[in-house]
Amino acid sequence: MITTSLPRLFSRGTLAAIIGLYTFYTLAPFVWLATMSVRTTGEISLDHYAWPKPFHWGQFRSAWIDSDFATYFWNSTIVVTSAVVVVTLIGAAAAHCLARFRFAGNRLIYGILFSSIIFPPQITLISLYQILVDYNLYDNLFGLTLVYISLQLPLTVYLLEGFFARIPQDLFDAAKIDGYGDIEIFWRIVLPVGMPAIATTLILNFIQLWNEFLFAVVLITDPSKRTLPIGIRGFMGDHFQDIGLIATGVMISVIPVIVVYMFFSEKLIRGMTAGAIK
Amino acid sequence: MFVAPAILVYFGLTAYPAFRTIFDSFFTINGPGDTVFAGIQNYRDLWHDEIFWAAVRNTFIWSFIAPFLDVGTGLLLALALYAGVPFARFFRVAWFTPVLLSYVVVAILWMWIYNYDWGFVNIALRTLGLGSLAQSWLGNPNTALAALIVTHAWKWAGFNMVVCLAAIHSLPSEVLEASELDNCGWGAKLRYIIVPMLRPTLLNLYILAFIGKMKIFDLVWIMTQGGPLWSTETVSTYVYKRAFNWNTFDLGYPSAIAAVWFGVVCAAVLLLNRLLASRERLEF
Repeated sequence: MITTSLPRLFSRGTLAAIIGLYTFYTLAPFVWLATMSVRTTGEISLDHYAWPKPFHWGQFRSAWIDSDFATYFWNSTIVVTSAVVVVTLIGAAAAHCLARFRFAGNRLIYGILFSSIIFPPQITLISLYQILVDYNLYDNLFGLTLVYISLQLPLTVYLLEGFFARIPQDLFDAAKIDGYGDIEIFWRIVLPVGMPAIATTLILNFIQLWNEFLFAVVLITDPSKRTLPIGIRGFMGDHFQDIGLIATGVMISVIPVIVVYMFFSEKLIRGMTAGAIK
Repeated sequence: MFVAPAILVYFGLTAYPAFRTIFDSFFTINGPGDTVFAGIQNYRDLWHDEIFWAAVRNTFIWSFIAPFLDVGTGLLLALALYAGVPFARFFRVAWFTPVLLSYVVVAILWMWIYNYDWGFVNIALRTLGLGSLAQSWLGNPNTALAALIVTHAWKWAGFNMVVCLAAIHSLPSEVLEASELDNCGWGAKLRYIIVPMLRPTLLNLYILAFIGKMKIFDLVWIMTQGGPLWSTETVSTYVYKRAFNWNTFDLGYPSAIAAVWFGVVCAAVLLLNRLLASRERLEF
């Protein structure tokens, strides 16, 4: 990019000030959290803004083992991973179908799926609670997984449909001539060719479900079945003053997200904003 | 058919529950098997429910006004990066980080930032000699909603920034260069060139932010639980309270609130879409 030819919108000083201040504003709370996660609550209450000295890595050990964060972590991992895998498969199949085959009601199905993105969650929340109670899936990680699949389905179909529609038809015609059936075409062509888009939705769904709070807090009551967001909140309710350990627990939930972000920042940004950029 | 599983999931876990909620809203439901037909009584009660109206007021304030903050900040940041700073990529990635944090994390962090004794806001005020302004930001009914709005904007500004930046980059650069030759100040450039040309994007972002705020729950629930004195109650938190938190044991009434709100959100989105962007098709 040739920056010199671009018009200047701000003076140099203003620009530096905006950028510096805003970077501080976004990152400082996060750094603060990270420092507190390796300090004991006693140290923190002496000075909330001191640099950790020494680093109490043991905080992570005690959060992980003594305070059940390991349970929350694995619950989150199981629910989120299975939901993401299933929703991607179902969503990809539906997106392939909607993007490739012309049939009556195609756009209608797309429109209906799509419009549910604007639904306020309460419209399904209360009845999903009743339905899960009816089928003995309430307070059950499997039930939560099912709900998560339904939550992310519209977005997944929407993002993948847009991409799949741009796969050239020739590819499919060639595959048909080679004697591929519909299922084989899906496995051998759509999934591999659509991999960039699928990877984006995988990561996006992972982050959104990893952070999901409302449905988890309604559908799970047993402390041993809590996912990370409600686990942290529960812990905070019981140990309101234990700032050090709360910070450690929060870090445990944030680290996977940050790791994913470090490796896939561009993909993730593209996925999150795909809906808003035309 | 490939689309069958998706339709099954959709009807079983989205469409059916949505209809069931609307259906339930005409009953008083005290538990499984104890369901009494209530007609429109729930809706009539709702009309006279002051807490509900407080919740509607707060949610509307949040949904209509706060998006200006989000989108405005996003646009400003995008312009700053567009002006050609070194390490723009780094800043873009860094500023986007809060979008990825869960509301639980953001809420806890900001509860600490707003803490009366040692929160960053009050410490900064005291250091600047403005200690008299220091207060319990989340405990004061006059500031609690504003404090939540700022927190929410902190989380989402990065999102708006990325979208604006992409849109600015796709603008024809000749126009901006021409304005440079005409000695346009940046205020004028912003007002007469950039904002009008980005209009579709900005409207889109506004509507997206609007929808997000009409649904807001997590942040409020963790930070204030709708208090103090209902000053931060939103419709979502009120539904949750009536359904699962208060011991009223009636799922019919909260269903009625949810059904009303569902209608309001859909109507508001359609209306905004019509009013603001008559020629632009809404895309999410």
